[in-house]
Formats: sequence, structure tokens, C-alpha cells
Amino acid sequence: MSLPYSFRVAISSLLHEKWINFLSMLTMAIGLLFTAITLLTVYNIDLMTKKLPEKFSIMLYLKDSLAREEIDTLIEGIRQDPSVDRVFFIPKDEAFRELKATLRNTEYILDGLGENPLPNSIEIKLKAQLLGPESVKKLTAKLKEQAGISEIEYGEKFLASLHSVRKGMNTIGLVFLIVLSTGMIFICYSTVKILFYRKDEEIKTYKLLGATKGFIRTPFLIEGAVIGTGGGLISCITLVSLYYTFIFKLSQTFPLLNSMYFPVELFLALPAAGLLLGIAGAIIAIGRIRY
Amino acid sequence: MIRFEDVSKHYDNHTALRKVSFSVERGEMVFITGPSGSGKSTLLKLIYLSERADEGSVFVSGWEINTMRDSDVPVLRRKIGVVYQEFRLLYNMSVFENVAIALRIRGVDEREVKARVFDSLKIVNLRHKSDNYPHALSGGEQQRIAIARAIVAEPILILADEPTGNVDPDTSAGIIRTFKEINARGATILIATHNRELFRDTGKRTLKLDFGNFVGEGIG
Ligand SMILES: Nc1ncnc2c1ncn2[C@@H]1O[C@H](COP(=O)(O)OP(=O)(O)O)[C@@H](O)[C@H]1O
Ligand SMILES: [Mg+2]
Repeated sequence: MSLPYSFRVAISSLLHEKWINFLSMLTMAIGLLFTAITLLTVYNIDLMTKKLPEKFSIMLYLKDSLAREEIDTLIEGIRQDPSVDRVFFIPKDEAFRELKATLRNTEYILDGLGENPLPNSIEIKLKAQLLGPESVKKLTAKLKEQAGISEIEYGEKFLASLHSVRKGMNTIGLVFLIVLSTGMIFICYSTVKILFYRKDEEIKTYKLLGATKGFIRTPFLIEGAVIGTGGGLISCITLVSLYYTFIFKLSQTFPLLNSMYFPVELFLALPAAGLLLGIAGAIIAIGRIRY
Repeated sequence: MIRFEDVSKHYDNHTALRKVSFSVERGEMVFITGPSGSGKSTLLKLIYLSERADEGSVFVSGWEINTMRDSDVPVLRRKIGVVYQEFRLLYNMSVFENVAIALRIRGVDEREVKARVFDSLKIVNLRHKSDNYPHALSGGEQQRIAIARAIVAEPILILADEPTGNVDPDTSAGIIRTFKEINARGATILIATHNRELFRDTGKRTLKLDFGNFVGEGIG
């Protein structure tokens, strides 16, 4: 089978039905653009929420009765836990100094207290990749059994809501991706199906003349691929233009936008994704060829 | 080359062929004759598998084709050149492309296509119309495009269904002469026709059908 011939047939058919094809190309472009924006949004939110846990820590407030050696064994025990990254001991004096530094000009508030009311404390940083409501719960449950700890404090609610936000965003992203991809495959499917039906008689003749399935199929696959890739290119160009006209300019005024991640790979992936979706749609549209 | 053994074909409640047996040797040119509706087209369709026989066996080149798998059908069809009764031209393509398609389907090198298409258009006297579209041509001319397409790939077997149905007697004689020449170069040819004038004095074998029954053979 000759590929150049299939290309010629496909191109002439694309031009023959140029409005249908152009419209589905545009629809593909819009679909891919929405997909790309969804993915970018989800990805950036995910990225931001990933950075937040760096600030997260578990605080243990210790009983004053605890001796220095007992504190050391306690710290050593915590270090053994696989989810723990770093452990800091904060002596009560240092905590008091810090408190004073924070209050600075309003130091006098503390005057009435006389001696240092703050307890010794231990700050625990967890490994970022293991940070989640479960691992924190497990660790704190273990710590509660230890003697000498008067109180455990951590942003339980914060952590849980952060976690559900991330989960929710990922789910929304995935649902969007599936719905949009299905929609785009359907667009290519129906476009190729229309072309296929219009050529019904022609295809019958091809079959009678002994054409292989590949010979009959290839022009339609090329048409699906061209529609998909064309849509991908249009969405890619639109996305880049949007980026430079809005985000890039706005980030000069709002530095927050600077930390947004805008991967080049995504631009290149758009035409490739269009190509795959287009071919997938065409394959479904052609279906099984019977003699 | 072709052998039918007790072949029957029924359409719904109508029997188009009833226990037909005959054979055609390699290199022969044979006329299938009989009045309209006698089953000539059906007989040819059973050979290029546009229809399958309901009973009996059909052999082509020693191959039992009636039980052939779907995937082998294109292979069989590429060995055969068919002139369909209803032409089956591609009306959105030029005359040249209509003939060239037979070569493209067979994967013939693009550099060879042009010369071979022009050769076969010359045989049917349509060389000068190669850029026209079928709609712009007369019924007789369209029929000759169909003939050019059937012979261009030089198949070992040519089936022609009423190939002179739309042409005047002179052109008709020309077409039969063309088939005789191609036959002389080795191709086996089967021509279905209801027109007795066509095979008169050709000296070729005729097989006569009537109401789906094989009613005898003779020499034209
Ligand atoms: N697809 C079909 N469905 C039903 N009946 C058919 C079909 N094709 C042909 N026939 C019938 O079968 C008989 C033989 O038809 P055909 O083979 O075309 O005869 P011929 O070519 O000799 O004129 C006719 O009576 C015709 O009406
Ligand atoms: Mg007929």
C-alpha cells in the first residue's frame, strides 16, 4: 500500500469537507485548551500545597519533672520513627527568650509572671512525602503513651483539610481529563464517521476491487490525525499567547504568579495528545471492515 | 481455472442458481449466456465473492473459495479483474484515477502507474479523456473505463458482466476484439451477456443459463 497515495486521498477529502473539518479542529483546540488549563491549575495548586507542609510540625510540651537524660532517650526514640525527618529540642529558657523577642516592646506583659512559665518542648518535622493525617495520627498516638509529655499540639484540622483539598483537586483534574478526552475522541469519531458514511459507495467499490483493510482505513486515520494535531497546534499557540499576554505581564505586578509552574513540555504534548485522540476517534469510527 | 460443483444460490425465497456445474480451463474465453434474470450476474458474483453460494463448491485456481475466510477475500479479488454490470466507477475521480486505483490497490510502484494506465486507456480508446470525470462521459465511455480498470493490472482472470450493455454494435465488436487479444496473451476471460450477436462467430465456448438452470453449452 502506498502511503503518499493515502495522504493525497486524505488531504483531498479534508479539503472537500473543509468546513466540517475546520469546525471539529477548532472544537478539538478548545477541548485541549480547557484540558491544559485544568491540568495547569491542578498542578499548580498541588505544587503550592506541597510547599506548605514544610511549615508543619508537631510540638511536644514536656513535664518539668523530666530529667535531661530522660529527654535525650525520648528524642532518640522519636528519631527512630520512619516518618520523622528532624527533631529539635527547645529548652524552656530559649522558648522564653524567643517569646520575649516576639513581644519586644510589650515585654512588660511578662513581668508579672516572675519566673519562666514555659515548659521544655520538642519540635518534630516529618518527612514531606510521608506527611498525611494518618502518619501524624499514628505517631501522636505512639507519643501519647510515653511518660513525661504533658501536651501534644499540631495543626490537625489544617493538615486534614489540606489533604482533602489536594485529593479533591486531583480527583477533579482526573474527572475533567476523562470527560474532556472522551468528548474530544467523540468529536473526531463523529467527524470521521460522517466522512466515512459519505464515502460508503466508494468504500464498497474499493472492497470489490480487492483493497486491503489498511488501504481503506489509512486515509481516514490520516484525516483523524490531521484534525487532532491541527486542534493541538491551535490550542498550543493560544495557550502560549495567553501566557505572554496575561500571566507574564501580570507577574510583574503580582510576584505570586512568578512561582507558577508553566512547563514547556505541556505545549509540545498538546499536538501529540491531539494526534492520539484524533487517531483513536477515527479507529472507533471506522470500526471493523467486513468483506 | 474455474470449477462449479452443484452450486445453488438462493435470494430470500428466490432461487437464482440451481445445482450448476461447469468448468473453465486456464486461458479459455467463455460466454455465459441466457436471458435477463437467468442468473448470469449471480454466477460471476460467486466467483469474486460478492455473494457466497448456499450449496456446492466453487473452485478458482484450485482454491475452494466459497468457504474462504473474510481476510483472504481481498487476496482473491486482486487476482481478478471485474467489469461490473453497473460499472462501479468512482465519480469524484478523473478517468485516469479510476483506472489507476486498480494498480494502487495492488501496490504497484507509482512510477509504473502512469504508463500502464495510459496503455490500457489506449486499448479502450479513451487516452484523450484521461483528465475528464466519469459524469462528463457517455454510458458507453464509462463502460470502457470499467474495462480499462479491469485489465490494467493484467489479472489472470477477467470477469465481464454485460460489458457491451451500453455501446453501439461497432464499439461492441471492438470490445470483444480487445478481450480476444487479452485472452490471446493468456488471461482467462468469462463474459456474461444476454446479447447473442456478441458471441456469434467468435468460435468461443458458450454456457447457457435459464431460470437459474444450466441448460447446455455450445460454440459461438
Ligand atoms: N440481491 C438480490 N436479492 C434478491 N434477488 C436477487 C438479487 N440479485 C439478483 N436477484 C434475482 O436473482 C435472479 C438472477 O439475477 P441475476 O443474476 O442478476 O441475473 P442476470 O444477470 O442473468 O440478469 C433474478 O430473478 C433477480 O431478480
Ligand atoms: Mg446481470
